[in-house]
This record gives sequence, C-alpha cells and structure tokens, in this order.
Amino acid sequence: MLAIETLRKTFNARGGGRVHAVDGVSLAVDQGKLLTLLGPSGCGKTTILRCIAGLERPDSGRIVIGNQTVYDSDAGIFVPANRRGIGMVFQSYAIWPHMSVFENVAFPLRVARGERYGREEVAAKVKRALEMVRLGGFETRSATQLSGGQQQRLALARGLVREPALLLLDEPLSNLDAKLREQMRFELKRLQTELGVTTLYVTHDQSEALALSDVIAVFNAGQAIQSGSPFEIYRNPNSEFVADFTGSTNFLEGTADAGGDGDGASVSTPFGVMRCGFVQDGVVAGGATLVSIRPEDAALSLEPPPAGVNTLLGTVSNRIYLGDVFDYQVSAGGTELRVRMRAESGADFPLGAAVHVSMPVETCVALRKPDSGERAARAQADD
Amino acid sequence: MAAGSLQSGSGEGFASRIAGWFRLSNLVLVFCVVLAGWLVFVPLGSLIYISLAEDTPIGPGGFTLDNFINAYADRHLLVLFRNSMIYGVGTAVVTLVMGAGVAWVVERTDAPGRGAFHVMSLMSFAIPGLLTTMAWILIFSPNIGWLNKLMMGWFGLSEAPVNIYTMTGMIWALSSHYFPLAYLLMGPAFRVLDIRMEEAATVSGARNWQVATRVTLPLLRPAILSTLLLLFVRGIESFEVPRLLGIPADIAVFTTEIQNATTEVPPAFGIGAALGMTLLLICVLGVFLYRRATADASAYATVTGKGYQPTPLALGRWRWPVSLAAWAMFALALGLPLFTLIWQSFFDAVTVPNLAMIGEGSIRNYTFLFSYPVFITALQNSGALGAMAATAVVALAFVMAWIAQRSSTKHGWALDALAFAPIAIPSVIIGASILFAYIMIPIGVYNTIWILLIAYVTMYLPYGMRFTSGGIVQIHKELEEVAQVSGASLLQIFRRVLIPLLAPVLIAAWLYVFVLAVRELAASIFLAGPGTQVLGTISLTMWEEGGSFGAVCALGMVQIAPLIVVVILLRRMETIISRRG
Repeated sequence: MLAIETLRKTFNARGGGRVHAVDGVSLAVDQGKLLTLLGPSGCGKTTILRCIAGLERPDSGRIVIGNQTVYDSDAGIFVPANRRGIGMVFQSYAIWPHMSVFENVAFPLRVARGERYGREEVAAKVKRALEMVRLGGFETRSATQLSGGQQQRLALARGLVREPALLLLDEPLSNLDAKLREQMRFELKRLQTELGVTTLYVTHDQSEALALSDVIAVFNAGQAIQSGSPFEIYRNPNSEFVADFTGSTNFLEGTADAGGDGDGASVSTPFGVMRCGFVQDGVVAGGATLVSIRPEDAALSLEPPPAGVNTLLGTVSNRIYLGDVFDYQVSAGGTELRVRMRAESGADFPLGAAVHVSMPVETCVALRKPDSGERAARAQADD
Repeated sequence: MAAGSLQSGSGEGFASRIAGWFRLSNLVLVFCVVLAGWLVFVPLGSLIYISLAEDTPIGPGGFTLDNFINAYADRHLLVLFRNSMIYGVGTAVVTLVMGAGVAWVVERTDAPGRGAFHVMSLMSFAIPGLLTTMAWILIFSPNIGWLNKLMMGWFGLSEAPVNIYTMTGMIWALSSHYFPLAYLLMGPAFRVLDIRMEEAATVSGARNWQVATRVTLPLLRPAILSTLLLLFVRGIESFEVPRLLGIPADIAVFTTEIQNATTEVPPAFGIGAALGMTLLLICVLGVFLYRRATADASAYATVTGKGYQPTPLALGRWRWPVSLAAWAMFALALGLPLFTLIWQSFFDAVTVPNLAMIGEGSIRNYTFLFSYPVFITALQNSGALGAMAATAVVALAFVMAWIAQRSSTKHGWALDALAFAPIAIPSVIIGASILFAYIMIPIGVYNTIWILLIAYVTMYLPYGMRFTSGGIVQIHKELEEVAQVSGASLLQIFRRVLIPLLAPVLIAAWLYVFVLAVRELAASIFLAGPGTQVLGTISLTMWEEGGSFGAVCALGMVQIAPLIVVVILLRRMETIISRRG
C-alpha cells in the first residue's frame, strides 16, 4: 500500500555542514496495517512522515502510495501535498480557531479538487466523521471551546473525513495527559481496525508503539535499525540501541564463547558463563558481547535457583514499592542490576539482603557490543 | 506532473523549490519582493547619485564631490549638526521621562485613571504633529499666544513670560506630541518586569532606593536605551516642529535645511542630497543600535509564563496625588493644544479663551472650508491616498512577512531587512529622494497623486511588516500544513485559513497606516503639486500664507475628529488581538 525506497533527505546544519535526517530508508506498509516509526527526537521519523505527506521534498528516493508514485527523484516526480489525498493529524492538532467544529471537518471536502460535494453530502460526511470519533452533536461549537482530548479527536475526524487511503499521525497523543493518552490509545486502535485505513504513526513513546502497532520500525540517526512486530522488537531486539529504547533493560558485558548456533550462545561474563536463548547477528566467538535481560524477566530469591538458569549473587541496594510491583536495585561486583517483581508474598526483600538473581536462558539476548566510535556517533545524533 | 513550488512553505531551502516558477502564486510572491526592492533601492540610489552629480539647469550632470564640499565646508554645518543633536537628544530625554512616568503609573501602580491614561495616549495618535505645533504657537507665541497674554495680565508683566520660538520651545512642542509613543514603548517593559525580582531584593535586605537602583533600573536598562535611541531618531528626523518654530527662531536643523535646498529657486538638489546623506547616516546608525539593543533585550526577558499577573504597587495615600500629577501632565501636554484648536476654530482672529466670548463664536470657519475647492480636493486626495496606501502596504507586508517567516531563515532575514529598511530613512529624505528619482525616471508619476502613494507605501511598509509578522508568528505553521494536506491550494490556504485568522491584525495594520498617511506632511511637501495637495500641505500653506488662524484650526479639527474614530476602531482591533493571543 505504501512503499518507500532508499529515501534520503539532508538539512543544512546550524553552523555549517549537512545533517542526514533520513539516510537511505526503505519501508513498506501493507493495506490496512499500522506501522509505527519509533525513535528518539531528531532520528528522522517526522521528516519521513513529512516527506510522505509532501510537506518536505526529499533529496532522492521513491515514494509510492497505493498505485500512485508521488515522489521519484529519478523520474522527476513530485506530487504536491494538496494532491496526495492523505489524512494527517499533527502533534499540535492544528485546529483552525476561526472555524466551528463542523467547518474544521468540512474543510477537506470544500477544497476538494474535481469533486464537488453537495450541501447534504458534506453534512452527512462530517456527521459520520464526527460520530466516528465520538464528537457527534459538537458541530456548532467553536473549535477553541474544545478540551485537549476533544481537539485531538476533531483533528482525527478532519483527517478521516475524505476516507483517505493513508493516514499519517505525528505524535498525536503527546500533548495529552497520561490518563487521556491511555484512553485515546484504545480509541485509535479501535478506529484503525474498524476502518482498515493504512496508517503511519510517529512516536518517541515505546509503550504507545507497542500498544498500537502491527509493525514497529525503530529509527536512530536517520536509519531504520530494526523492524518487526511489537513482540519481536521487545523480546528479540537486534541491538543495544533497540533493547534500550524499547524499554528498560540490564546489560551485562562479556565475551561470546562461540557464534550463534541453534541453541543460543554462551557468554563469559565476570559473573560466570551465561547461556542466551537469542543470539543476534554480529555476535562472534571471542567478540565483545552484551547480554540483555529485562528487569521483569529476572527474579530474586534467598535460596539458589535450580540448575539450568543463569544466576548471580548480589545485595539489595535500593527498593521502590509501586503498588503492583517492587523495583529492586541489586549490586553485584560493581554492577547495578534492575529487577522488577510482582508484589506478592515472597517478593519482599529488605535492603541489604543477600539475594540470588536468576535470569532464565530464554529471556537472555546476546548482542554485539558496539565499539566506542559507534557510540560516539550515536550520542552526537541524539543531540 | 507538477513541479515543486514555494507553497509547501516548509523550512527547506528556497532555491531548491523555485522550479514551478510560472505558477500564478509564485509570480505574486516574486512581484511583491521585486516591488519592495524597487521601493527601497530606487530612492536610495537616486539620493546617492544626486549627491555625487553636478547640479545643472537641465538636471544632474557629471560626477563631482562639490555638493559635499559645499555642504560640509560651510561652518554652518557645525551649527546645523549641533542644533540637530541638541534637539534630538533633548526631545528623547524629555519624552522618555514623561512616557516612562506614565508607563510606571499605568503598569505598576494602583493609581486611579490608569485606563484613561492608556486611552488618551492612543487618542493623541490622531493629532497631526503640525497641528500640535500650531496650537503651541497660539498658546505661547510672544506676540499672539493667549496664555502669554493671560499670564501678563495676571502677573502684571510687560513682556511675554514664555517664548515658544526657542530650542526649549521646540523640544517641548515635539515632546508633548511624542510622549505617548514613549509610553507605548516603555509600557511592555514595565509590564513584564517580574515584581518577584524586586521582592527578592527587599527580602535580601535592600531598602527601596537600593531596590530601584540595583534591581529595577538595571533590568529596565535595555528598554530605556532602545526607547531613547528610537526617540532620538524620531526627533532628529521630525519636520513639522522645526519648520514652524525653528525657521522663525533661526534654529536650523537638517530636515528644514534639506527642504530649503530642494525647494529654493533654483533648486540645489545636490546640496540637499549631500545633507540628506549625513542625516541618513545618523538615522541608520541610530536604528542599527536600536535593533541591537532590542535584540539584546531578550536576554533580560523576565516574563514568567502565561498566568503571571504583576501585583501593582499599592500607593496608599499617594494614590490620588500620583493620579493628579499624571492627569495634569496629560492636560498640559495634550489637553491644552487640543482645547486651543477647538476654541480657535470658532473664531477668526486669535482670541483669548474666555467664558464671555463663547457667544461670539461661529461656525463660519467650517462653512468656509467646505465651500473651499482646494480643501475639498485635498480632503479627497488624503482620503484616497490613505486608503490606497493602507491597502497596498498591508497586502505587500502580508505577503513579504509570510515569505520571510515561512522560508529558510537566511532568506527570511534578507526580506525582513528589506521591508524594515525604510524605518531608518527620515520622511524628508524619502520625499526628496523620490522627487529626485521620478524626475529622472520617465514613467509619468511626477506631479501626480501616484508619486505620493509611492512615498507613503515606502515609508509605512515597516509598520505594516511589524503588524503582519507579529501576527504570522502567532500562527502555528501546522495550521497551514494541515490545510495543504487536506487538499487546499496556496490561494485557498490564504483565503480560508490565513486571512480569516489574521483579519484583526490586518485591519489594525490598515487603520494604523491610514492614520499615518492622512497625517503625513514631511514627505508630501516635496511631492504635492497643484491638484495633488493633501491635508498636511494645505494646512501648512494656509498657516504660512496668511489664511485666518481660525480657518487653519477648523481644518485641523476636520482631520482630528475622523482620525479619532479610526483610532477607536484600531483600539478595538488591538483588544481583539490581545484577547486571542
């Protein structure tokens, strides 16, 4: 439905030089699916969205929406934004304050090229769009009288009123407060599946991405680092960056004993040899390797766990009670490990307690440790 | 398929998207930029050219430095320079003290009548400077000034106690006209000054005077400096007061000398232009320093967010004395001249205001005016010119401000500078150099109403720009982008989104420019000819060529009354704008 091929876009950097905002990105989204571009600010995800919308002109590459090529640097094609027939919701909602709720939604119909909509037709379409986002009956209100959440839904109705083949959402939930945000997540998911509209979603919030997406593409410094289902991305990150960005995790440094084989890999760490259920590309025998284990996958116990589980000994150095869970910090040989345990009986360990940290093999992921040059480059890109 | 165009308006490089050149919308944009360039560079170019060309009876001759040598070798130039500086600096200081005083009362105290002071300051904007000056002559001339006569009677004096035909008189006449401007410039600085900074000093143990000298004044310093600079430039380039008071008093300043040289017979255009270059240099320097000072001022910004409401200083038993002092100042600086104009407009000869005389007044002056063809023509010219100039300025500034803000910062800066350039050019120089330019350029605007329109549009473009860019800054770019993604063309974005959103700002800019244009004299005096006289120029002619004082005052009232209505509308627009912002 949407295909992007080796898209490139550079900007003049402040103080001279060029910044590669989008650095040879290729993506494809199937009909009716929701793809999320996830990444830190400045990773190029919004630029990609703006290139698809036609608000930004890429340097090179190709963009195809449905069966229309809207941009092709080789063929010299650039379809202006107002002829791409896309629905879009901006981070600021961009609700026109001088128009009523009705007029805001009716706008795309009124400026439509070629097609002339009759008065009844406009009214019917606007009514349907507003009802879809549960704003029925708000037609005559002034747009500025709406609350943040209502403005957000109004922006969505405006984006959907033309029944576009493609919907672009640029951090649509980031201006809402936490509670409303969670509620809107469900709303968005419901609408998207009901309408079956192909959707591209940009966010820096990993929980939003996990909750909404069919496919997530994680971006950094203008490049797609990994793409896959939310489950794959979270459970099976392909790099230190993805593991770190998609949720909190612990990294244990070590050296791989052997490259990946069917049964995973063994990594020698200061705490002994650890078996990893997942081994990512780039992990080679004798190479610097990181073992990633998420806090909720590790567990604490006073007694040593049964054999066959990675384990190490440590001391509880800090603990936080969050209602449903305990968050622990455990010191072990100069390393701090985070462990999250459901707050049930037997999960309460006092400060200073000597504990065994057990890390099930199937939750440990072996990753290649980036060398210092790569890290420096990334740190710069994050600025 | 359609090529790239300016219309996405994104922050991307300008040049890379000038592919769809021949789209109508792009042509409009290019046209506006070229027009603004023409308006700014043609007069400046001709000023430089004329100043370096030999004056001959048939127009500019070969290259020469004689104009500068003649203008500068004269010892007279030193006097000219000294007079102009004293006049400019004196006006700036007096005006600042008066304006800052009002700003302090309005913004920082609980003195009664603060709203009225604000409204009166805005109203004063409707009174042309020429008329204020005439009023001061009717009040304080040693021969005919009615207040002089009254005081001589009261105190048994043989000589008039006040002489308006002095440097002090000139400074006072201009200050009384400009102090509301100083108030409007200083007001925001007082408003955003966070009282908590003063409170922190008090809590730290400072006494009131220490708070004032160590915290308040240093915080206000950028505002004070920039206001002084702007007032200095406004003073040194003012024309009306030097023309009416300076010439009889034999106090020459640059503006009057330039006008003399240009309009004497035979005209010495070269000398006028050479003098103009010096005045221009002083003003450009002043405006440059002003822009630098205001750019630095952001470093002192002390606004603390939206909900911040400064607590006014409780004056206690000083509330009424402070209020009365401010009322007295307004009565003296604004009320006295306005009253004089109104009173005198009902009498032919200069008449000392007196209750017993009220019955003697008549509306003869007004009936005369409306039967006087020269007045009717001037009224039509001024009205038409005001409306046309306001429309042209707002349209041009709107498009330019939009391009400047929505294109890359580099180009935006250049456009901005282009449109703001005329603010550094004194009206007298605009008038003179446009005269030079269109005598040489044969496009048939010389001696028509169009040459006045060119001058007005050039002079007021910066004001239009200030309104429109201020308005566009407030409009989030995404409001336009979402319209574009929704399928709207550039024209539709302007018509359905930008113009409705900016309507109050555009109307305010229109009204503002209209008032300025109707009040205009300094440039018009070079450009108005038979049949193209405007209200300003006929007022001056009637005053100097011995019409009755009463008729001139009636002429003044006929300008002031409608302008006050326009200013009230302007005030309404500004209230709407500030409520929205």
